[in-house]
Amino acid sequence: MPNPPHHANTHTRRTVLKSTTVAAASTALLPDAASGAASPAAANPGDVVRVTLSVNGRSRVVDVEPRVTLLDALRERLGLTGTKKGCDRGECGACTVLVDGERIKSCLTLAVMRRGSEITTVEGLADGDRLHPVQAAFIRHDAFQCGGCTSGQIMSAVACVREGHTGSEAEIREWMSGNLCRCACYQNIVAAVADAAREVRR
Amino acid sequence: MNGLVGRPVERVEGHAKVTGTARYPADDPVPGALHGFLVTSTVARGEVTDIDTSAALGHPGVVAVYTHREMPRLTVPPFPYPKGFIPLQGTAIHHAGQPVAIVLAETLEQAQEAASLVQVRYRSEPPRAVIDDAGQQPYLPPPFRDRPNEFTRGDASRALAQAEVRVEAHYSSPTRHHNPIEPHATTAHWDGDRLTLHETTQGVNVTRGVVATAFGLPADRIRVLAPYLGGGFGAKGPVWPHTIVNAAAARLARRPVRLVLSRAQMFTLTGHRAEFRQHLKIGATREGRLTAIVETTTAQLTTTEESIFNESDSTSTLYTCPNVHIRQEGVRLDIATSSYMRSPETTAHFGLETALDELSWVLGVDPLELRRRNHTDIDQETGLRIASKHLLDCYTTAADAFGWSRRNPAPGATRDGDEYIGWGMATEAHTFSAIPATASVTIGLDGKAVLRIATQDIGTGTRTIICQIGADALGVPITDVHAVIGDSALPNASLSAASATIASISGPVDRAARTARDTVVGLAVADRRSPLFGVPVSDVETRHGHLIHTRDQARRDTYRAVVSRAGKPVETTGSVPNVPGHSYGVVFAEVRVHARLGAVRVTRVVTAHDMGRVMNRRTARGQVLGGVTWGIGHALMEHTVYDRATARVVNPNLSTYLVPVCADVPSVETLFVDRPDPSSTALGARGFGETPITGVPAAIGNAVYHATGRRVRDLPITQDKLL
Amino acid sequence: MKAFGYTQARDAADAVSLAHRTPGAGFIAGGTDLLNLMKDGVQRHDHLIDVNRLDLAAVTGTATGLHIGGLARMRQVAEHPAVRKGFPVLAQALLASASPQVRNMATIGGNLLQRTRCGYFRDTASACNKRAPGSGCPALAGWNRGHAVLGGSEHCIATHPSDLAVALTALDATVHVLGPGGPRRIPIGEFHLRPGDTPNVDTALRPAELITAVEVPNSRTATGSRYLKLRDRATFEFAVVSAAAALHLDGRTVRDVRLAFGGIATTPWRSPDAEAALRGRSLTVETISEAGRALVRDAVPRHDNGFKVELVQRALAELLNGMGGRR
Repeated sequence: MPNPPHHANTHTRRTVLKSTTVAAASTALLPDAASGAASPAAANPGDVVRVTLSVNGRSRVVDVEPRVTLLDALRERLGLTGTKKGCDRGECGACTVLVDGERIKSCLTLAVMRRGSEITTVEGLADGDRLHPVQAAFIRHDAFQCGGCTSGQIMSAVACVREGHTGSEAEIREWMSGNLCRCACYQNIVAAVADAAREVRR
Repeated sequence: MNGLVGRPVERVEGHAKVTGTARYPADDPVPGALHGFLVTSTVARGEVTDIDTSAALGHPGVVAVYTHREMPRLTVPPFPYPKGFIPLQGTAIHHAGQPVAIVLAETLEQAQEAASLVQVRYRSEPPRAVIDDAGQQPYLPPPFRDRPNEFTRGDASRALAQAEVRVEAHYSSPTRHHNPIEPHATTAHWDGDRLTLHETTQGVNVTRGVVATAFGLPADRIRVLAPYLGGGFGAKGPVWPHTIVNAAAARLARRPVRLVLSRAQMFTLTGHRAEFRQHLKIGATREGRLTAIVETTTAQLTTTEESIFNESDSTSTLYTCPNVHIRQEGVRLDIATSSYMRSPETTAHFGLETALDELSWVLGVDPLELRRRNHTDIDQETGLRIASKHLLDCYTTAADAFGWSRRNPAPGATRDGDEYIGWGMATEAHTFSAIPATASVTIGLDGKAVLRIATQDIGTGTRTIICQIGADALGVPITDVHAVIGDSALPNASLSAASATIASISGPVDRAARTARDTVVGLAVADRRSPLFGVPVSDVETRHGHLIHTRDQARRDTYRAVVSRAGKPVETTGSVPNVPGHSYGVVFAEVRVHARLGAVRVTRVVTAHDMGRVMNRRTARGQVLGGVTWGIGHALMEHTVYDRATARVVNPNLSTYLVPVCADVPSVETLFVDRPDPSSTALGARGFGETPITGVPAAIGNAVYHATGRRVRDLPITQDKLL
Repeated sequence: MKAFGYTQARDAADAVSLAHRTPGAGFIAGGTDLLNLMKDGVQRHDHLIDVNRLDLAAVTGTATGLHIGGLARMRQVAEHPAVRKGFPVLAQALLASASPQVRNMATIGGNLLQRTRCGYFRDTASACNKRAPGSGCPALAGWNRGHAVLGGSEHCIATHPSDLAVALTALDATVHVLGPGGPRRIPIGEFHLRPGDTPNVDTALRPAELITAVEVPNSRTATGSRYLKLRDRATFEFAVVSAAAALHLDGRTVRDVRLAFGGIATTPWRSPDAEAALRGRSLTVETISEAGRALVRDAVPRHDNGFKVELVQRALAELLNGMGGRR
């Protein structure tokens, strides 16, 4: 039987309240990134914990259950929907973000595990109106069609350039293969990454 | 005229896409929206005997769980709702993965966990999943969308019996799934009996119509929004049941609900390319002229639908052949509904273009020459001359670029170290549609133009081409033009599918913009305050936002000045019908096959296409790169596997349903003939998007044969088949 | 995914102690396999113990070999100069694994503990003896292209997916673990368990035990080691068949050799018989094919995976030919 809406709302409020009470206790244990407290974080099943994430240079606070992935925290809690969910299993690369400068798949990590890390999403790449060289190269080389994978491709490309895996077309192809593009702009992505690498090196 | 049409103009939405600010349907914030998650059937055939939702309902954050017991009765809409039934309307189970309940909760995590707590009991029967297990003779289904599944020209069996040379073979390919990167997503928001859907769809109007039918509502109560789409490839062309179920749930719960399918659910809820068998018999003269084609195909159908999507258009129309007999048969299985997938002809086209290669070896005729000998400019269905067909030019251009004349015809004769090198080719062809559409143009007081049409940009470049056409017709910079699409409240257009978009919308956009231009020119010459006052309209040209006297260039006005003086925006509409037709091309492929391990790599591809006028060389090239890559996937790896005992998909993910990655795909040289088609009202352009892919699997298979002397007729060509 | 509690462990002893006393606890490090298993409901933990801040991530070249912290990331190990120089098979196997993103996340310990990619195991609606003991093995009569031809039982023929484990098997590595009973060492060959009658037990790890390190001994075979991985797409895929060879050649004579294989067996598969066919003998077409035959002597091919019997022999030949064997 479905809950009537009014009942559902009270139920939900109660749940949140209950969670918040427990979470308050848990929150005390969470090391605040700023304070550098060393005590271990702990939460019980169903608890909502307060997590401070550093996203695109800004400190952001989210209240999440431990099971919330970094991807869902970004998209559903922080409104940063530039990062896409393609498979939720690390198999497509659409959710790629940088954590402390390294590319990772944000669907395969928990937000609570990333306290204190510097997270960069596609929204944080451009310097004001000035696009990051990889973003500009993607436009120049028509390295996207539908755009579903593009944020992940770009974040992966930024890291690929930084890692120095742009020595040849073949090397770029291998190191960009963790990001599927079903429209299949691969050839243009390779050209964009090579071009951006040249520009970044200059 | 700026001459933007035809130029490789950068995508107008590029900035939004590379900065993550483009909002896709699952990105739109909808305040108060609940998260939905579907509970799907674990069995493939039988019925639900009991559903216990109590544990799910007791789960934190859960607002409702709906099953067939709570759902309102809905009307099953006709095509483009391809499914023969709506789930949650009864207890019958027709395939594994069929929705049996929907859970609504405050967070996604709560909805997903609660869905796993819904206890469903089934009565199940042994299902049948693949053609081999059908246990029934294939049959000829009734016509689908007025197209019969049997087609006859001349007397094919007699001609075949009398043919000087005959080739006969069986070809096959497994089930494939579209797998756009963006999962299907729908957000339903009711306001009384008005419904807004944020929908991942290739057709906002089609979705509106289907959903209106399902709920028995007038279409104007429903608004469908899809400003961006993260890939469709046919999977988001039809309307699928999750959209209807979610909207019904949102109505019951009196809350907006967002539902995003999981990747695994996309293997049973959003269509697929059906498993396919093709028995081909070709008769020819000793010179290689086709005298007979007899083809029988078998496709995976379901117990609830019998639509055949793996069309044999190429077999009947691509070459001149007086005697053709085609039967498109099917067998009914306990699997999910199939549908259109990026070029539905691809499956049958593979057999045809492989059989021609086989014939070329039998005859000792070069495969390209064989195709030239069977070329025709006559429409094989109507007997009329085709207004514009430059396939022969494609052959020559691409063959020269590829270096085809240097080919050593002997199979297995070219080796480089550990690898055999093979070259293969195939013709490409695709039937495109043209669907009536209307565009509107508004020129604001700022002199800028807004083009409106309820089409979609599914990544093919539609938005950019609309702006090119509009800017050219108005004579304004492309930066002064803005396209608004993906909203059913806009002037009518149809699906972005069947390669129909450019053929359907270009004329209307151009007409609306030209009418707007003429209106503004008319306002200027009638306005005493305009430097152009009294000038005959035929003496006014528009360039870069200016209205200019053609014989006295100093006398000029601007869109902005004219419209602002008029004090109100200029609004016009345009509607121009077009005709369907065919686009053509050719693909040449080089493969390297490891001599001992059998691994195939595609190392070089050259294509040439005739699509009438090329509207935007960048976006057209994108369609070719995509099509070639899809062809590589089709030829070498893509394969949906059903467990034959349970009819469940065994590999519903992107680590075991393999699609090509960057390292699988070589650089493709993309050539275009680029000659406007005089019969097209789309500024000489024809529908194109799905043309490149059709020949690629056969070109690769033919190259593998040339490399190794091994003919693989069952796709995909994995290395175990070449050991 | 089921709701779970979360604790960040301070150190290894703390992690083990937490795991020991918390019902339904599991460790999370990279999370790249665990979270998928939990999303799919294949593994259901009540509590996760985050071990990422433990001081177990160092990779060190020692006088006797290589010491890899259990929390070292795949990329970090693959790029380490001591690994590239002294243990090339390890770097090659790691770089042939997963994607650059996952290699930045996944740890060495987690990699060894990743679970089979068998589609039936990962689908909770299917029977599977590994996931639900006694429910049956649909792969035996079902789709088994990815499954094992060696080391299977009538209960399970799922392959172990790790490339790293294959390389470590060819290198005679030792797994160091810490448990409630203290530290212990497990030779890599005893770490992964064949399914037998208990396919649900993947490894020799006991409850609450944590992988703290993997130790790889220096050897002449390690220096001359290589990895070959065959798959259905160019990269970013699990092995259809893979082979690791650690070879010490003296001229054409095989002084010592260790061979391990992936994709064909239920565990990372060492073949003493194949090694014996080569050890002390000249590396020739004949001895290599003898080794190949010895490798597959007990193979049990199924409906879809019979080709692996041939393909793995060819892979072995290809690998050894490239290492000095004659064509």
